Amino acid sequence: MTTPVPGYDCTVDELMVVAFSRTLPADTRAFNGAVSFIPACAFMLARATHAPDLVWAAGSIGIDAAPTQIPESTLSDGIWEGSTMLSNSPFDFWAHAQGARYNTFSFRGAQIDKYGNVNNTVIGDYAKPKVRLAGGGGMADLSIMIPRIMLWSTTHTPRTFVDKVDFRSGLGYGDGGDDRARRGIGGGPVTCITNMCVFGFDPVTKHMRIDSLHPGVTFDEVQAATGFPLPAPMGDIPVTPAPTASELHRLRTVIDPHGARRREFA
Amino acid sequence: MSTAAIPEPASKVQSLRDVVAAIPDGAVIGLGGLSMNSAPMAVVREIVRQGKKDLTVVALVAGMPIDWLAAGGNVKRVITGLISLEGFGLAQSFRRAVQSGAVAIEEYSEHLLICRLQAQAHALPFVPTRAGIGTDVLGLHAASGTVREEVDPRTGEHYVACSRLPVDIAIVHVHEADVLGNSRVNPKLIWMDNEVVNAADRTIVSCEDIVDTASFRAEPWRTTYPRYMVNDVVHTAHGALPTSMFPSYVHDESFYDRYAQASADPATFAKFFRTNIVEPETWADFLAVNDLRARTRSAS
Repeated sequence: MTTPVPGYDCTVDELMVVAFSRTLPADTRAFNGAVSFIPACAFMLARATHAPDLVWAAGSIGIDAAPTQIPESTLSDGIWEGSTMLSNSPFDFWAHAQGARYNTFSFRGAQIDKYGNVNNTVIGDYAKPKVRLAGGGGMADLSIMIPRIMLWSTTHTPRTFVDKVDFRSGLGYGDGGDDRARRGIGGGPVTCITNMCVFGFDPVTKHMRIDSLHPGVTFDEVQAATGFPLPAPMGDIPVTPAPTASELHRLRTVIDPHGARRREFA
Repeated sequence: MSTAAIPEPASKVQSLRDVVAAIPDGAVIGLGGLSMNSAPMAVVREIVRQGKKDLTVVALVAGMPIDWLAAGGNVKRVITGLISLEGFGLAQSFRRAVQSGAVAIEEYSEHLLICRLQAQAHALPFVPTRAGIGTDVLGLHAASGTVREEVDPRTGEHYVACSRLPVDIAIVHVHEADVLGNSRVNPKLIWMDNEVVNAADRTIVSCEDIVDTASFRAEPWRTTYPRYMVNDVVHTAHGALPTSMFPSYVHDESFYDRYAQASADPATFAKFFRTNIVEPETWADFLAVNDLRARTRSAS
């Protein structure tokens, strides 16, 4: 279960959705993959608040969907409710992804490293894995094709946030610095929103750094929960701003009345 | 001259038993569907029941069908981008089989696999994509070179060349087919099944209903696969359960839940797999034993 945020009238899942939503610019054209309750909520919330023209392809298929509730799977047909169009995967989706008609995608993984590379393939050695995970699916595709990658994690621990991923299923900033540019690829991770803080990336080194701490969380606590050294704070680190009453009302009563977003906190 | 005077070719309709009996051990089969949607589960179950051996299975993003084939010992190699039961966790029989070395995984990403299938479909040496650049996925195939990073000599752009992926038999589920093999997904094909069909030497279509050819002639713009792409037609009502078949029925939450719970322990799962999945005699029996019906979202 998710926990209350000290001093805010919300829980941490709601704070994550609102922080995610506010990061989305007005020209966002997004889609979502599997087990993506927080991004789905955030896309709908941004569309209902500051970004009315935002495009969201629900489950990568249902354009401009307006589901009355978020189903148990964010790739199932229930999330397409109210769509103006159902895309066909090869003809519509992949052309619009590789052609960057879509500009925003979001994924999570079992491991995320200091340069925003993500692993959802194996823990341990590939040939003799300690744990065989699901696999990267479209991560290796979309982390290169889509210019704005939003990472998130509801399990901020040293097991998730590692110095170097065991397997690079999705490309973040690679080895850091200009590694993406040298490979002829633009874009990269914009943010990584966790249950403890909001991470950004240093514009030059591309190393992960804290943009804001959730209320009641200290730098030292984040450092203890992160498996690589974080850059020392330059002065006070901002606190993740509070959701407004209307954002919370919208999220709780219209977008996700049954609390599907909390499924990510099992 | 009326259309009625045109002689029509022989029926391609076969029984589920016969259509699977013709699949040779060691074949490369390509499965339709994506994750919890539209997988040809009735045919997959029959493959398990007949004890097929050493299959190589191509499935872009899948879960339940691959887990059945791993549990049944039918598959030696899985060519895929992702195998899981989504919110119900990992596909545990598949995971155990890969970790023990019983099943080999040849791993790509979705788009790398789509491009390999497209190269096969178009009979081209490769199809390019930007997918996979900078990831560890390309390194897995350094020796075979099935996917490899190259630089376009004209523009200097990096791309990944995806070589052909031969598929012996595609197996896909559709709403309606006629006896000639004309098939349609109704209202429209959403998943990537057509990439598998176009790449395969032969295609088996399982269908919810068999309809008259006249219904295809009346609305030819709705046809998904023409008859010359389809070799065998098998009638399996509710043949995608427990995965979904939009908009006819949703995936079965309760079955996935019971399956995932049984999967946690190998001994419990072995009994569940035998009793609930392998032993029911017919597809209708399987549906009845597991209380699987065509539930729609509003009624579920």
